[in-house]
Amino acid sequence: MALDFSQVTDVNEIHDQAIIQHFKNGINHKALVLSPSYPYIFIGIIKKVLGDTVEIDVETTHFAQLENRKWYIHIHNIEVFYIERPGAPKIPKLDDL
Amino acid sequence: MIRKYHVVAISLRIVVNNFGDHNPNGRIYVLKENESKIKDLVSKNPFKPVELVQPLAIRANEGDVVDILFENQLPFSAGMHFQEADYNVLTSDGADAGFYPDTTVKPGEKILYRLNASQEGIYFFTDLGNVSSTEQGSSVQGLFGALLVQKRGSTWTDPITGGPINSGVYADIHHPFLPSFREYAWFFNDEMEVKDLTGNRPLNPMTNQEAESFHGVNLRYEPMTNRKRLIEEGVVCPDCDSEEVHHDSWVFGDPATPILRGYVGDPAIIRLIHGGVRETHVFHYHVHQWLGDSKNIEAEILDAKAISPQSHYSIQPLYGLGSLHGAKGDVIIHCHLYPHFGAGMWGINRVFDTLQDGSQCYPNGVKIEALQPLPDRPLPPKPTPEKPGFPNFIPGKVGFKAPRPPLGIVGGREMTVLEENAAIPNARPGAVFADPCLDNPVVVEFDISVIEMPVVYNRQGWHDPKARFYVFDEDFDDILSGKKEPEPLVFHVPAGTCIRINYTNRVPHILDGDAFQLVTRTYENGFHIHFVKFDVLVCDGGNVGWNYDSSVLPGQTIRYEWFADTELKAFFFHDHLFANSHQQHGIFGAGVIQPRFSRCLDSRTGEEVDHGTQVTVEHPLIPDYRDQTLFVHDFALLFDKNGCPIQPPDYPGSEDDPGVFGVNYKCEPLKFRLGKDRDPAYSFSSYVHGDPVTPILRAYEGDPIRIRLLQGAHEESHSFNIHGLKWKEERPDLSSSMKAQQHIGISESFTFEMEIPSSGDYLWAFEDEEDIWLGTWGLIRAYEEKVDDLITLPDRNDPPGRTEKLPKQTGKPPELADPQGSLPPNAYPDAPVKKFDVIAFQTSIKYNSYGDHDPYGIIFALEEDVDDILSGKKNPVPLILRANVGDLVEVTLTSKLKKELFPFPDGIHPYPPVKEQAFYPPSLRISLHTSLLDYDVKTSSGDTIGFNPDQTVGPGETITYRWFVDGQFGTCSMWDMADLRNHRSFGTFGAFIAEPRFTTYHDPYSLEEVKTGENVVLRNPLLPTTREFVLIMHDGVRLEDKNGKVIIDPIDGVIPETEVLEEVDTYDYGSRGFNYRSERLINRYKEHSVMHELFSSEVFGDPSTPVFEAYPGEPVVIRLTNPAERRRAHTFHLHGHSWKFDTKDLDSRTQSFIGHIVAGHSDDLPLIGGAGGVFNFPGDYLYRSGNIRWDIELGMWGIFRVHHELQENLPRLSD
Repeated sequence: MALDFSQVTDVNEIHDQAIIQHFKNGINHKALVLSPSYPYIFIGIIKKVLGDTVEIDVETTHFAQLENRKWYIHIHNIEVFYIERPGAPKIPKLDDL
Repeated sequence: MIRKYHVVAISLRIVVNNFGDHNPNGRIYVLKENESKIKDLVSKNPFKPVELVQPLAIRANEGDVVDILFENQLPFSAGMHFQEADYNVLTSDGADAGFYPDTTVKPGEKILYRLNASQEGIYFFTDLGNVSSTEQGSSVQGLFGALLVQKRGSTWTDPITGGPINSGVYADIHHPFLPSFREYAWFFNDEMEVKDLTGNRPLNPMTNQEAESFHGVNLRYEPMTNRKRLIEEGVVCPDCDSEEVHHDSWVFGDPATPILRGYVGDPAIIRLIHGGVRETHVFHYHVHQWLGDSKNIEAEILDAKAISPQSHYSIQPLYGLGSLHGAKGDVIIHCHLYPHFGAGMWGINRVFDTLQDGSQCYPNGVKIEALQPLPDRPLPPKPTPEKPGFPNFIPGKVGFKAPRPPLGIVGGREMTVLEENAAIPNARPGAVFADPCLDNPVVVEFDISVIEMPVVYNRQGWHDPKARFYVFDEDFDDILSGKKEPEPLVFHVPAGTCIRINYTNRVPHILDGDAFQLVTRTYENGFHIHFVKFDVLVCDGGNVGWNYDSSVLPGQTIRYEWFADTELKAFFFHDHLFANSHQQHGIFGAGVIQPRFSRCLDSRTGEEVDHGTQVTVEHPLIPDYRDQTLFVHDFALLFDKNGCPIQPPDYPGSEDDPGVFGVNYKCEPLKFRLGKDRDPAYSFSSYVHGDPVTPILRAYEGDPIRIRLLQGAHEESHSFNIHGLKWKEERPDLSSSMKAQQHIGISESFTFEMEIPSSGDYLWAFEDEEDIWLGTWGLIRAYEEKVDDLITLPDRNDPPGRTEKLPKQTGKPPELADPQGSLPPNAYPDAPVKKFDVIAFQTSIKYNSYGDHDPYGIIFALEEDVDDILSGKKNPVPLILRANVGDLVEVTLTSKLKKELFPFPDGIHPYPPVKEQAFYPPSLRISLHTSLLDYDVKTSSGDTIGFNPDQTVGPGETITYRWFVDGQFGTCSMWDMADLRNHRSFGTFGAFIAEPRFTTYHDPYSLEEVKTGENVVLRNPLLPTTREFVLIMHDGVRLEDKNGKVIIDPIDGVIPETEVLEEVDTYDYGSRGFNYRSERLINRYKEHSVMHELFSSEVFGDPSTPVFEAYPGEPVVIRLTNPAERRRAHTFHLHGHSWKFDTKDLDSRTQSFIGHIVAGHSDDLPLIGGAGGVFNFPGDYLYRSGNIRWDIELGMWGIFRVHHELQENLPRLSD
C-alpha cells in the first residue's frame, strides 16, 4: 500500500515547535546562547519569541561594543543554549576588569 | 579565454637605489613590448633606478588559458617554470627533467608555454635552465616574476592613470560584483650581486668592512649604511646617529624601495613572493592583520609571516588599509630579520586621507603622484590649506629628524592648528589622529621602563653584561636588587581592553663597545607593538616615512594607547629605533590577549597577577588553563664566567651570526651536561644533572595548557617541538591538522592549545642540532599528585595528596623504563597490536652512483632486513613504519652500536660543525622518538628527560615502546634522542605513517603486503587505492667521496666551481638529500658541463634519489618530513601538482609548495587530480627544494614519473 505522506507525522516540525515552545517558556529568564553567526555568544534575558526568532536583551556578548541592546536570534540557528531557571545552576557572572 | 604574453629574458644593469648601487649582471624577464624602452632607459640612466626594471608581474583570470611566448636573450639556456599552474609537462615545464623533452630554450630561441590558470592566486615563475647558486646563476640575479591570477571576470587598471595595463607590480583590480582592490606584488630577493657607484662591493661605514649582502624588495634595497653616510658627511640631520632615522623620510626623502599607496579603508592584497635563493625571511606589516590562509575564514590571524625561497602567500589586510580604526600615515613593511632590515629589505604602505590628483607635493617638494580612488569607494576629501591631509599637516623640518608627536610625551607639546584640524575629536596622548579604542572600552594602564643590567643565562656563568629589557616599574627595585629574576616582560589583558602605557626610557645613551659590537649611540627608543590597534602616526614606537618619531630620549616618558580588539594571542613588542643594535640584548616582550573575562593567577600562590611568563588563567565559561610564554633568542651576545666573549664575530659590528642562543634569557648547553659517565644519553636527565635553568611549565595531569611561542631576536629560523603533545595547526579551525612542530622566525607568534594527558616530563625544544646543543630546551612537568607550590586549576578537582616524595637529582642515570607496565593514555585494552622489531646499527650508506657515501651511517632497520643491508644486498633507506588508527604499536628496539665504528675517537664531532664545539663523545645508547602519536612520556617517548625513566638502550639491550595511533595523522617524524650531536646526521631517523583504519600496504610492483618501504600502495575497503610516496628531506650529512675524502658541502658542491663562496653559516654546512640519497649536481656537471641538462635522465640516467612512478590520474599522497637536523629552512616544490595547505581542511588554499621546512616538520600532500595533476598529463615532474642556494646543487631533487603507457613491472592501481 502506498504511503500517504500527508498523514505522516513530521518529526522535524514537532522538534522545531518544541524548541520554540521551550524558549517561550523561558521568557523573562536568563539564557546563554551560542550561535555560529557573529558575534557567536549571547547572554541575557529572553524578552519574547516572535515566530521562530527569540528576542534577548543581551547583557554580554563577545564584544562589549555590541552589548546592552536587543538581539533577535533565529532559534533554529542556535547550536547550544541554556536557560537559567530557579534551582538550576546559574550562568556565571561575567565582569570585565 | 586565451590570454597571450610575449616574455623576454634579458641581461641588464639593475640600479637598486638612488645611491647608484647596482647589479651589473642583472637578469630579468620583461614583456617584449617594453624591451627596447627598458634597454634605452637603462643605458641613459646608469646610476638611477628605472621604474620598469622590476620583477615581471602579469595578470590573468581564473579559467583563462595563458600562452606565454618565451624568448631567451640570455647567454645560456633558460626557461620559465610556473608554480601552481596546470600545464603539459612535456611542453610547458620550463625545465629539462628526466627523459622528456627539454622545455628550456637556447640563447636567441623561443618557446610557447601554455598554462591553465585554474585557480585564483600567485603563479610564481623562475628559471630552471641555470640553477647555479653563484652570480653566474639566473634566479639569484633577478630572473623571476609572477602571473597573478584574479577572480574570473576581473579587469585591472593603472593606479596612477586609471588606464589599462599589461604588466606591473601595482594594479587596481576591478570586478563586476566584488569590491575593487589595490594589488601590490612584493618580491623579496636576497644574495643578488651588488656593487656601489665605484664598481666595488659596498662598504659599511661603521665597520669599514664589506656591507651585508643584498636583501631587497622588487629589485630595490635601501640600506642603512648609505643613509648613514649622508649624516656623516653633514648633508642631513647632524645630531642623528643612523639606525634611528633609517626609515625617516623627513631626513632622507622617500626610499627607493616600494611605497604601496592607497586611501584609508581601501581593500588591498599584497602578493607576497620570495624570489630569492637562500634565506627564510619574515614579512611583517605594521598596523594590519590578515587571515593566515586567505581562503579560510577560520584560519589563524597573522601580522608576520615566515617565507622561504620560491614560496608565496596572499596578504589581505582585514578591514582594508588603515585597519579597523582607519589609521592614516606611513605603515612600514619589512623583513623582520634585523640584519636584513638594516640591509634595506623594507618599504612603506602609505595610507592617504585626502585625494591625490597629482597637484600636491610632499614636504620636501617631491610631487605626489596621482592616485585614482577605487571606483566603488567614497571619494576622499580634497586637500585644503586648513586640512592638507597626510603628511602635510605634520610640523616637520626637511633634513632633520621627524618631529615628536603632540600630547604623547610627558611634559611635551600640544597640537598645532593644522594638527588640531587633522585630529580626532577626543584627541589624547597616544591616540591623536585615529581612535583605536572603540566605544569606550575597559581601560588598563601599565607603567613600563626599559633598563640595562647584567643578566646571567646559566649556572656556568654565561652572561650578558649589558642586557637590556623591559620591566614593570613596580618590579624595578626588586629586579635591580636581585630579588626578582629578569625574564622577558609578558603582561596579560582580556580581549576588548584599551591598554595605556606610560613608557620610560631608562637605558644609557650609549651602548658600549666590546668584541661583538662597536660603540653605538642608542640615545632614544620606542615601544613598537604588533597585533593591537593603534594610531600609527603617533604610537608606532618607530620613526617611519613622514610620520612622527614616536620614541623618547633617556629619562623621558611617553604615553601610548592600544586596543586589544579580540583574542589575538600574544602580541610582540620591541624597540623600533635601535632594534638591530640592542634587541639581541633582550629588548623584547609580549602582551597576551586572554579571552574576555579571564583572570590571571600566580601559579604558586593563587594571587591575582597581571604579568609573568607563566600564569594560571581562570575563566567563568571555558576551561581554566596554564599559560606559558617562550621567547627563543639568537645573536645572544654572551660572555663566559671569565669575561671572555662566546662566539664573537670576526670583527666587532659584524652581523655574521655572532653569539649564541637563549630562551627567556636562559640556556642549558648540552656540553655542560655530560656527567661522570660522559654519556650524552643522559644530558636531558634531571636525575643526573638536575633540572635545567630554562623554563619548566608546571601543571597537573589532565590540565589544559597554552604555550605562547615567540622569537625575540634576531635573524634565524628555529624549530619548536614538543615531545608527547600535539596541537591544532590552525587554532580557530576545528578541521585543522594536528602538529607537534612549528617553524618560527622573529616576530611571529603562535599559540598552542593542548591538554596534558598523563603525568611526567615532556620535552620542549628548539630542536635543530645547533639550537639544542646550545641549550634551547626545557620541560613541561605534569604532576600526578599534589605539590605545595602549584595551585589546582580553579575548575578542576584537587589531585590526590602526595604519597611519594618528589624525585631529586641523584647524579646517577635513572632506572630503565617499563613500557609494558602501562598503556598509552588514549589506548584501550583490546586494541589490535602491531609489532615491529627494529635494530639500530652502523653501516655504510651509498648516497649516489658517483661514490658519495657515508661510511659511518647509523640506521634503524627491521630485524629481517639487517643481514641484507650488512651484506650489501640492500642499500638502506630510512626506516618507515606504518600502522592504522586504533592500532597499538609495539616497537622493540635493540641497539647494536659499536664504539669502534664511530668516526671521531677524540670525542669531538668536527663536521658538520656547530658553534661551541666541545668534547661530547658518541653515546652507544640509542632510542626512537616519534611525533604526534599517543604514548606515555614516562616510558615510550624515546626521551630520557627530566625525572622520567631511561628510555634509551645500550649495546645488546632492548626496549619495547608502546605507541597508540589515536588519529589519522599521516606523517609522523621519527628520530633518536639518545645523542642528537653524534647520531642524527648519520641517519638515525625515519618516519611513521598513521594510516586510516583498515588500510593495508603493498609493494607497488608485486602488490604483496609489506611492512616498510618508501613507496607503497595503500588499499582500503572504503577509500580509493592510493600510491604513497615517503620523502624524508634531510641535511647536515657528512659524506665522503669515492676516494674517501670528506666532502665539505656546500663549498664542494657549488657549480661552477670557480666562485669564491659567500659566507657559509654553521647551519649551512653538510650535504643534503632525500631518503639517504643525494644527486649532487657537481658530479653530473663534472661529466657534462651543460647547466640546463643537469636534470636530464637522457644524459645521466635517473637520479639516485627516489624516482616515484604512477599512471595518469592515479591517487597519490606524498608523505614529507624533515627529521634532521639543521636550522636552515627549506622549501619543497613538486612541479605540475598541487594539494591543500591543510590536508584535513577542504576550505584551505591549494598550493604546490611547502615552506620553511626544518627539523621535526611533517606534512601530507594528497595530490589534487592525482598523478599528472588536474589534467592528468604524463611525463617526468621534478620534486625539489626551492632553495637555489644551496639545496638543489647539493642534490635535494628527484623525479616523479607519470607513465603514459603501461610498464611491465608496474601494475596500474585499477588492475
